[in-house]
Amino acid sequence: MPLFGKREKTPLGLYVHIPFCRSKCEYCDFYSLASKDDTLMDDFQKAICAHIRETGHLAPGYRVDTVYFGGGTPSFFGGDGLSTMLTAIRRSFDVSDNAEITFEANPDSVSDKLLSRLRAEGFNRVSLGVQSDDNQILTKLGRPHDYAQVVSAVERIRKAGFSDLSLDLMYGLPDQTQQAWVKTLEHVLKLKPEHISCYGLKVEPGTPLARYWELANLPDDDAQADMYLAAVAILKQKGYQQYEISNFARKGHASRHNLKYWNGGEYIGFGPDASSDFAGKRFSAIRDLRGYIKGIQNGGVVMREIQEVPPKERAGEYLMLRLRTTAGIDAEEYQRRFLLPFQPLEGYLHKCQERGLAVKDGSRWHLTPAGFLLSNTVISDLLLLQERSPALRRPDERGLHG
Amino acid sequence: MTELSKIRNFSIIAHIDHGKSTLADRLLEECDAIDRREMEDQILDSMDLERERGITIKARAVQLHYTADDGQTYALNLIDTPGHVDFNYEVSRSLAACEGAVLVVDATQGVEAQTLANTYLAIDAGLEVLPVINKIDLPSARPLEVKAEIEDIIGIPAEESPEISAKNGINIHAVLEMIVSDVPAPKGDRNAPLQALIFDSQYDSYRGVIVYVRVKEGTIRPGMDIRMMATNAVYKVVEVGTMNPLGLTPGDCLAAGEVGYITASIKNVSDTRVGDTVTGVEQPAKQALPGYRAVQPMVFSGVYPADGAKYQDLRDALEKLKLNDASMVYEPESSIALGFGFRCGFLGLLHMEIIQERLEREYNLDLITTAPNVVYRVTKTDGTTILVDNPLDYPDPMEIQLAEEPFVKASLIAPQEYVGNIMDLATSRRGEFKDMVYLDAHRVELHYEMPLNEIIYDFFDALKSRTRGYGSLDYELLGYRPSRLVKLDILLNGDIVDALSFILFADNAYPRARKICEKLKENIPRAQFEIPVQAAIGGKIIARETIKALRKDVLAKCYGGDITRKKKLLEKQKEGKKRMRTFGTVSVPSEAFMAVLKLDED
Repeated sequence: MPLFGKREKTPLGLYVHIPFCRSKCEYCDFYSLASKDDTLMDDFQKAICAHIRETGHLAPGYRVDTVYFGGGTPSFFGGDGLSTMLTAIRRSFDVSDNAEITFEANPDSVSDKLLSRLRAEGFNRVSLGVQSDDNQILTKLGRPHDYAQVVSAVERIRKAGFSDLSLDLMYGLPDQTQQAWVKTLEHVLKLKPEHISCYGLKVEPGTPLARYWELANLPDDDAQADMYLAAVAILKQKGYQQYEISNFARKGHASRHNLKYWNGGEYIGFGPDASSDFAGKRFSAIRDLRGYIKGIQNGGVVMREIQEVPPKERAGEYLMLRLRTTAGIDAEEYQRRFLLPFQPLEGYLHKCQERGLAVKDGSRWHLTPAGFLLSNTVISDLLLLQERSPALRRPDERGLHG
Repeated sequence: MTELSKIRNFSIIAHIDHGKSTLADRLLEECDAIDRREMEDQILDSMDLERERGITIKARAVQLHYTADDGQTYALNLIDTPGHVDFNYEVSRSLAACEGAVLVVDATQGVEAQTLANTYLAIDAGLEVLPVINKIDLPSARPLEVKAEIEDIIGIPAEESPEISAKNGINIHAVLEMIVSDVPAPKGDRNAPLQALIFDSQYDSYRGVIVYVRVKEGTIRPGMDIRMMATNAVYKVVEVGTMNPLGLTPGDCLAAGEVGYITASIKNVSDTRVGDTVTGVEQPAKQALPGYRAVQPMVFSGVYPADGAKYQDLRDALEKLKLNDASMVYEPESSIALGFGFRCGFLGLLHMEIIQERLEREYNLDLITTAPNVVYRVTKTDGTTILVDNPLDYPDPMEIQLAEEPFVKASLIAPQEYVGNIMDLATSRRGEFKDMVYLDAHRVELHYEMPLNEIIYDFFDALKSRTRGYGSLDYELLGYRPSRLVKLDILLNGDIVDALSFILFADNAYPRARKICEKLKENIPRAQFEIPVQAAIGGKIIARETIKALRKDVLAKCYGGDITRKKKLLEKQKEGKKRMRTFGTVSVPSEAFMAVLKLDED
């Protein structure tokens, strides 16, 4: 850090959770309400803006380089609301000129008016929920749109001037075959997105799907694994680089915001159930919209689970999050940051390499696509080895003890 | 010292859940033996485990003072008894300390298996059996029919039997009056040489072993030198007294007819064996009281800490348990698969389960236990004979001249309509039919000779389910008989897991091997590679399953910053791995060992 002159500001990501949708999808366990209650939406917007104003002064040494409006369905919330919230952010935080500003959208709620409004406000990235090109599957999933609407939405997003488009896809869907999935990918690639996310369907407890999934004819784990590997191969061939388990992008189009989650960057979340990792603490807002609004209005409790994360746990997070990325973990960085020996992990990683699950690249290790598929087992094995390895001594301690 | 005519010594016997412990509580309350506020439900069953399982594991005794309608105050000694075939010997010794038994029969259920088994034990011990009809306040109670059943099936008068509700305290007074009038007063010469029957003992860290006795002849006083006639151990009596519900009350002496305790700075419960006779050193009895039997563990199993680092904790826990339970034996053993642990011997399967549960609960240990086995006798080709209580010690088939296993004479009692079921069951367990006797118009007793090994797994449970709970079982050891035995090894990914090896009858090997492989396949999580599961006899593979390689275990979605939840998930997965044992390259969760033990459940 230079003693004189301007101090470099720390990058910060902001996340705004918009908990409103036209309807709930069968598989979704994100916090959102299927409602268009104007009063509630208005109160919510005011609460978010107030929360942003209150928080801004806590981050004087930070420059916001990514903003992400997720949900729920931000596009369903409307252009005026999102614009007002982004304006509040710009007023309270130092947002850099080249910040990545994303909003999530569904094909049924992207009007030309909304798109041009948001583009004019400075939004520069759209993440569109597609999930499938099969209208029957879309209906089964409870999606409020068909594939024709997807195609039209993409056209209009481009027309409005967005040069950064991400499409969300899902595999492992009801009645889906490997063949159908490959066709979906080919179909969707014709839309030429800069970025694609492919998520395996997971039956989350508490979702509508959880009540009848046994009847839904879902592909089994082995079939899902094959679908995943097929997607990785096809996307690679079409020039999309995989940079995380489920994320692929053309060069230079990886989501900077999402990378923060996996690389240990700092971020602050606004809105119910939004999470933050800021100033050494992890915390989340309560999963209750009205409680959140009330809390902000009256100065009550809106945060739950405020945890200071000790270095030991950060070392675990490093493994857990970095191994999701194709950049992977770095032996030297690991030892330096956490003062833990890498050697016990390395022995295990070599075994993974023999099984085709991991690759060594200089001092870095990263998982292969087959390794990503088994990342939970690999990571939990590594966490156990980490727990059992004694800390290294600091270099100055070594001096003391001769 | 209480006059003989003012003493009544009795037990309460019943089928499980017929209300034995509840009645005991009411008797205590009725005699004001304990303050109602201090009353913890079912105080006689003082172990948590007993309360939970609703069975009494260890006998306890208590003295009540009851002023009867005749104006006299009586000392009523209630001796509680355990109620399972594993503890038949303990029950018989408790009953031998009494003159009467209150037989509790559920007015809705009627006479059941243990009603019979316990009643016959009481009659064998020469006790006056006094039926009591319990739960008469339930809508489905049928006291008259149940009384008729008692008279018909058991053959004791029940017309006058009190109809009570132990739960709601109805007619408890009548039970007490019946005890006073119908249980014979004890007999005995208080000046004769001492003969006191040990029916229980308990370790106390301050006083050493507290020995529970029924004095049959003579008198015992503090300061007196005593000898345990079976073990020949000699002690000086420190204290004698009687048991009340909340503790011990020291007294001057215990005389013939009385029930009480002795302390004598005894360090080890194995010197105070149930059924042994205490006599005086100065004026010894000519002979011991009849019925003593040295308790032999029948079932052995390896007990290991799930987390290898807890070996010392397990050792400490076993030492402490042993202080109170002379019937359990243990010695250190080690397994390639499980590391350091103990080979433990138990009276039976229930005893084994109880000890394991106590270790887990009271000592907070996580255990892995290996399949239980009996003690085999092997004569080797070099002429030497060895006893094998551990499959790991079983010799190579080439070195075996003769293999033998313990046989028992099993006596099975049930209503006649279940005879067919019992015969099927016994035959499937290699039972050899001996004879069948009609005990009365309805009930039949069948005798079989069968290998003990076939009984220790789940025979009792199987019998009960095939006789709708009416069947009862008792067995006595006949000795060793030649048998065709083999040792079955289990291999995971090509390596023998020694802790899963066991000895069994050759003809059972194939079906059992197949079942074990299936169970292991179900219970071992898929790994990053394919795992063959094989069963082998002497190197020859007789069954095989394959655990396919795991392809997918991933959190596809990890964004929006909700790291905490995902972190917890992975933490949990990591913690789960601590409960696994790694054999070569394969991780086996402790549940897999349990599953192999419960092969017969489906």
